[in-house]
Amino acid sequence: MTETDGAFTETFVEAAGLRIQLRRGGDGPPLLVLHGELGVPGWLDAYAQLARHFTVYVPSLPGFGQSSRPDWIASVRDLAAWVSWFVRDLKLGQPLPVIGFSLGGWVAAEIAIVNPGIFSKLVLVGPAGVAPADGQIWDYFLHSTKEAFAQAFADPATAKEYARFYGEGWTPEDDRQAEWNREMAARLIWKPYMRSHTLAALLGGLATPTLVVWGRQDAIIPVSVCDRYVRAIPGAISRVLDRCGHLPEMERPDEFVQTVREFLLPHA
Amino acid sequence: MVKEVFFFTEMGYTAYPQDDARRHGYNNLMFPNEHFRPERARELYAMYFDELLYCTETGFDGVMINEHHNNPLSMMPSVNVIGAVLARTTRKGKIVFLGNVLPIHENPLRVAEEVAMIDILSGGRVVCGFVRGLGQESLATNVNPVYNRERFDEAHNVIIAAWTRPGPFRWEGRHFEYRVVNPWMKPLQKPHPAIWIPGVVSPESVRWAAEHKYPYVALAPPLHVIDEIYDLYDEVAQRAGYTPTSEQRGYAIRVCVADTDEEAYEQGRHFFWQLGTSFGIAPKHWLQPPGYVSREAKASRREQIRVGAVNITPGGPPLSYEEAHATYQIVSGNPDTVIRKLQHIIDVVDPGYMILWGREGLMSHEVAIRGIDLMTQEVIPAIKAYRADREQGRRRLASTG
Repeated sequence: MTETDGAFTETFVEAAGLRIQLRRGGDGPPLLVLHGELGVPGWLDAYAQLARHFTVYVPSLPGFGQSSRPDWIASVRDLAAWVSWFVRDLKLGQPLPVIGFSLGGWVAAEIAIVNPGIFSKLVLVGPAGVAPADGQIWDYFLHSTKEAFAQAFADPATAKEYARFYGEGWTPEDDRQAEWNREMAARLIWKPYMRSHTLAALLGGLATPTLVVWGRQDAIIPVSVCDRYVRAIPGAISRVLDRCGHLPEMERPDEFVQTVREFLLPHA
Repeated sequence: MVKEVFFFTEMGYTAYPQDDARRHGYNNLMFPNEHFRPERARELYAMYFDELLYCTETGFDGVMINEHHNNPLSMMPSVNVIGAVLARTTRKGKIVFLGNVLPIHENPLRVAEEVAMIDILSGGRVVCGFVRGLGQESLATNVNPVYNRERFDEAHNVIIAAWTRPGPFRWEGRHFEYRVVNPWMKPLQKPHPAIWIPGVVSPESVRWAAEHKYPYVALAPPLHVIDEIYDLYDEVAQRAGYTPTSEQRGYAIRVCVADTDEEAYEQGRHFFWQLGTSFGIAPKHWLQPPGYVSREAKASRREQIRVGAVNITPGGPPLSYEEAHATYQIVSGNPDTVIRKLQHIIDVVDPGYMILWGREGLMSHEVAIRGIDLMTQEVIPAIKAYRADREQGRRRLASTG
């Protein structure tokens, strides 16, 4: 299956032993995108903007979207191993920059910890994996998927991407897909919930230049975790976006893309 | 033939403020436990245990007990504790555990030990049921619902092995691992107490029960989905090489018996004591946390029939008291009326075991005792003497819906 709207293609690729739903757009050097625990709903405006500078690769991670779901991927570490094989099998060229959102940010950090040669730069957006010093990570599993989407935006009523993907066009099939994604998330992050007992210590060994991006109104993972990430990773810098929740790429796509460009292409 | 008849009550904690639950929109899992008063629970326990003892002394073949967590529906958050108390306070009758919630245990050997203890304490009166639990059970104990069925299977295998294989031996499974399986305490009944599988007609559970030749106990489903349950059971059993008899079929039904039809109908409303429902109110994502129902099961025709059925079992659409009567999820009446209605159910199901869910909600102790007397003196003898006519049952079911 291939869908083309001029900006991106959607195909299925065999990678690291699995059949993977892959959205890809643009040309230029490769940029890997690792989505979060809610899955990826489509080709976001932010991806389209980034595709003017990069070839943007957005795989649905194993178990999410229409990608196959092997039983053996049952933890973030398992997923991290698979992603590094995906980069290898698609011959993406290493090192390459990566953007990881929430769960995907945690995955990217885990990979970079054990494989310093794979990523040239890390952009971690509201990354999971580190517990807040005070406050709590919002519990997806006591709430419905629709509640989760609303919670992930500072103001769902004014976010174009919310309306586009989670608004009135929402279908029963979308609901089934969201439930399927949620089940995969439960496999990976049920307990300990959205955090690792060792990641904060391991981040101290990261040697990859890192930007941490957070929405100031993030009501999933509180913005206080941003400081913990930045302090844990040597040399990391951060950027906090205003009027923005847990999904800066969907709620503030222009500012988000500008922030990422400044970090990945400082001389452009 | 109905061989044995048991009594059941959820042992509801009836003293919570329903208005407050209405404001929250739910009355379990996260309903604030500030509303729990231990002094009141003590009084309720005393009443319920007196009634259960009375049942075993006056003509029931035993009592059924179960387990729910974070839920005023039930004051039985540990089925084994309830069973242990009954083992020493009753002198006769079976204690039917329906059942231990296997997936939520991190150490299923503990379940094997406790059930073995209770079997010995009771003189071999235990019937041991296993369940997956409501979705809320997984959330209340924080055991990943994705692995609910796998954990159910493996915990069951651990327990049966602990009871039947000479120890010591090692167990290395996916979810449970033991250096030494060698429990000193083993059941009195050999090879182990009978295993029954109760359910609200999830096809996967029906199939699993049939594969293991365990009786399946349908928990008060709408009568018109019963063919689906036991036809599936029969199909799987035939493939497994045996023909099920009534001994593989159990049926639990809400029953309210009183001296007149009118009084029974009014008293029966107590079954809908939780915000006008029988099981209380919870959002769907608590009843079905992620992975709790497999994608295959959700897509199956049988599951859709089940979910679509007007149903007061958990997760079904709301059902009025009147509809509950029409679909035989509750029967009420004077003894003759109830006998006639139960005979219709027996014609359809031909169960070997019936569980009369005989008291609920704010029904008074006196009314409950009168109901028990009418059941033991009139209803139970009549239904035990009755011979099922399944052809007639299905014909009448087809004509009346």
